[in-house]
Amino acid sequence: MDTFEEFLKRVITIAFWLLLLGPVIVLPIILLVLPQFGVPVEVANRFLIALINPLGMLQFIDSLGLGPSSLFFKIAAFPGFTFAALFATLVILYERKLLAKMQNRVGPLYAGRFEGILQPIAELFKLIFKELLTPEKADKPFFWAVPFLAIAVGGAFLALIPLSPEIYIAKSEIGLVIIFAILSFTPLIVLTAGWASANKFSFIGGLRALHQLVSYEIPLILSTIGVVMLSGSLDLMKIVQAQASMWFILPQFIGAAVFFVTMLAELERIPFDLPEADSELVAGWYTEYSGMHFGALQLANYIKLYGFSVLFTLLFLGGWNGPAILPPLAWLFMKLFIVISFILVIRGTNTRIRIDQLIKLGWVYLIPLAFANIFIALAVASLGIV
Amino acid sequence: MEVVDQEGRTLTFSIGPQHPGSGHFRLIVKVDGDFIVDVKPDPGYVHRGAEKMCEERTYIQNIPHLERPVIFDSSGILFPYVLAVEELLGVQAPPRAQYIRIIMAELNRIISHLYWLAIYGIFLGHSTMFMWPMGDRELFIDLAEAIGGTRVTFSYFVPGGVRNDLPPGFKERALKTFSYYEKRLEEYDKIFFSNPMFLKRTQGIGVLKREDAIRLGVTGPNLRASGISSDTRKDEPYSSYETIKWDIPVRKEGDCYARSMVRFQELFDSLNIMRQALDLIPEGSVKIPMRGQIKGKVGESFARTEAARGTMFYHIISDGATHPYRVKISVPSFRSLSAMPFLLKGNHLADMPAIYWGLDYWPVEADK
Amino acid sequence: MSQSIEKEELLLSSIKDKFGDKVRELYVNPKRIKILVDRENILNVATFVRDLGFDQVISVGGTDFPKEDSFVVDYHLIGVEHEDLKKIIFDLSTKFPKNEPKTPTLMEVWPSAEYHEQETFEMLGIIFEGHPRMERLLLPEDWNDIPPLRKEFKLPSRLVEHGSS
Repeated sequence: MDTFEEFLKRVITIAFWLLLLGPVIVLPIILLVLPQFGVPVEVANRFLIALINPLGMLQFIDSLGLGPSSLFFKIAAFPGFTFAALFATLVILYERKLLAKMQNRVGPLYAGRFEGILQPIAELFKLIFKELLTPEKADKPFFWAVPFLAIAVGGAFLALIPLSPEIYIAKSEIGLVIIFAILSFTPLIVLTAGWASANKFSFIGGLRALHQLVSYEIPLILSTIGVVMLSGSLDLMKIVQAQASMWFILPQFIGAAVFFVTMLAELERIPFDLPEADSELVAGWYTEYSGMHFGALQLANYIKLYGFSVLFTLLFLGGWNGPAILPPLAWLFMKLFIVISFILVIRGTNTRIRIDQLIKLGWVYLIPLAFANIFIALAVASLGIV
Repeated sequence: MEVVDQEGRTLTFSIGPQHPGSGHFRLIVKVDGDFIVDVKPDPGYVHRGAEKMCEERTYIQNIPHLERPVIFDSSGILFPYVLAVEELLGVQAPPRAQYIRIIMAELNRIISHLYWLAIYGIFLGHSTMFMWPMGDRELFIDLAEAIGGTRVTFSYFVPGGVRNDLPPGFKERALKTFSYYEKRLEEYDKIFFSNPMFLKRTQGIGVLKREDAIRLGVTGPNLRASGISSDTRKDEPYSSYETIKWDIPVRKEGDCYARSMVRFQELFDSLNIMRQALDLIPEGSVKIPMRGQIKGKVGESFARTEAARGTMFYHIISDGATHPYRVKISVPSFRSLSAMPFLLKGNHLADMPAIYWGLDYWPVEADK
Repeated sequence: MSQSIEKEELLLSSIKDKFGDKVRELYVNPKRIKILVDRENILNVATFVRDLGFDQVISVGGTDFPKEDSFVVDYHLIGVEHEDLKKIIFDLSTKFPKNEPKTPTLMEVWPSAEYHEQETFEMLGIIFEGHPRMERLLLPEDWNDIPPLRKEFKLPSRLVEHGSS
């Protein structure tokens, strides 16, 4: 059996030879064939030059509208989907290492030379090569649509979250409202998954997720109202600017706590991972998903984890604000690291809560607390502290 | 709580035998919304006919295969067998062997309880409480391995004593492990047993009242958690247990929390018992020498001991041959079978793992 | 053994006073009592024994005696709530011919006998009349043979003659 490194080495070697042979064999053919069909020689020439000259390549990509400053690059690469996916794999690795340390284990150790650093990538390859099973009685179009929808919602969520004054995808005066509007798609996706799987465990898991997500959306939105009142804007950029002197977690401590708890519930993480409670529901609404379908759902979940953590940082921890010795992005990621560590430590030290206790917690404690928080924000704002 | 079974409203689940929360066992569960309205246990997936096998093998040949149903508590299921056979033979193990048996049985109790605790942790979604007891279990497996030679199935108890003496330096090694482990138990308490989430999931869940516990026939820690001070080690002291002093942990509540706390307390008690046994152990031989095939006198014998999950009972009938005529084994897990539907009915589906594993039902043991 | 058996004798005499010849004493040892009753009387005796304080069934075991052409069913009882009775194992046994393997269920007396009786039914083919579930419990769903704990059922791999000594 090969190790994972040898496998990677083989893949890279193949890619290298393809890239080398491609221009030598394919390009002359193109140059000879394309003019026969009336394509001007200049276009083919530019492509050839671009391949030889890296700067030319950049210009060529720019001319197609795909350069680093283009919208496409922002969405697809940085700070959009690819970056978030890579960050998600890092979070998965960090989660596994941290939990392993908490539990007297070593965690991933072998893939990659250093501390199993390539383990998430190795698992991604494993998932890609697995068979995609669809239950016979499943509602197939909906069943297949769910992973794509989940990824789409995760990606749309990211589009509205700025990482620094310069690095953002979409800018909106009402960014926060749009984020909540996008997030309200999630229960629909989960219910679709539960229903389309034609599996009792999936169905109960889907229904539970529906209850959980719908009940926790209200405190989630309410807990941010205080921040909006203090900053006077729904624009995340302006909210961060308003925290230049003081982070909102200080006057809005209750709001931050409510937001953090509801965030865990929206992410379906322990102690609120009832939709996939494995000891009674196998894997909840994930049960019938296999291979890369499952990978996509997990990826969407971790992208959401990343998005929510950034959102928490922006709303309550002052975003990228910090002394100018470090660039804004560095401050943001330091705060992000703390938030994610908190989420993971809670996973390691808690049991799962029950659905009725969860709903009760949401309606009886979190919503009144969120309302109380609004009045605190009102008092703080009228006293002119912030 | 009254739950009415309304036609067309219920959903029937088959939880097991291939389900992360069941083991080799099936529960046919009918739910109405989130409430369980009907439960039918379906054991037997790992039935291997231990009782029939006993009839066709000699008294000594029976020892290894009798351990197999409960490999985590292999001394627990073997203990009453050797006691019953000794009664048929009319012999008694030498004093040193009796104390070694106590040590081995208590080591096995800890190994079994830690396995239970690990699975209970992960059933409730607490991954750290899965890893810690599973890791710390190795300490006791190592100790038992030093005595018995293998990790789980030791075949260590034989009629007339134990197979071999304790290894040199065992006492120091064991005491070191015990004092380390007592510190670990405090950490268990902090992270799991005092965790408010754990209390929320177990307190008041699956309440087995005193009279129900007696009526349904549960035994061991489950019975003690319902307020009944019943422990075979005290009721019918065997193998020099009468010389050891400890208190039976009893709780009144009868819920999942009480059941887990009784087991948690028994971990401390077992360490205590082993310390005393290591102090009291006399010098001498560990086995009565026997030659040839052993044959029991014509007649029958009963023996019961306190295994990790409760009273383990053997009824052996001998017709004077080298094989037992009939061996009836009553295992504690089988006795919690009738309590399971009683407790599950009317509860949330989400409480199923907490109640099911809270009874410490081990399907392989129940199936025999 | 020099342990006293006063309590055991006392218990037995109270049963004998009540039922007279219907109850046969098999033996009384320290902490062990075994009596034999006919299946016609077992329900009455069981109710009386329960009222004495034996409240739990540890096990229900059946044995096949082909030489006597009979089955014996043992109910092993303890009284967990009673300080003295929890130290004693009371064996209430009944004996009946093999061609008529029927005995009344004692589930009304001790609900804890439920699964033990079902197992005995399955392993020996003894029908407990009045038991709600006389059906398969542990054996495979497609079991198509005589009940395995009967002595006629031989494991093909091992053929052992009993009583050869």
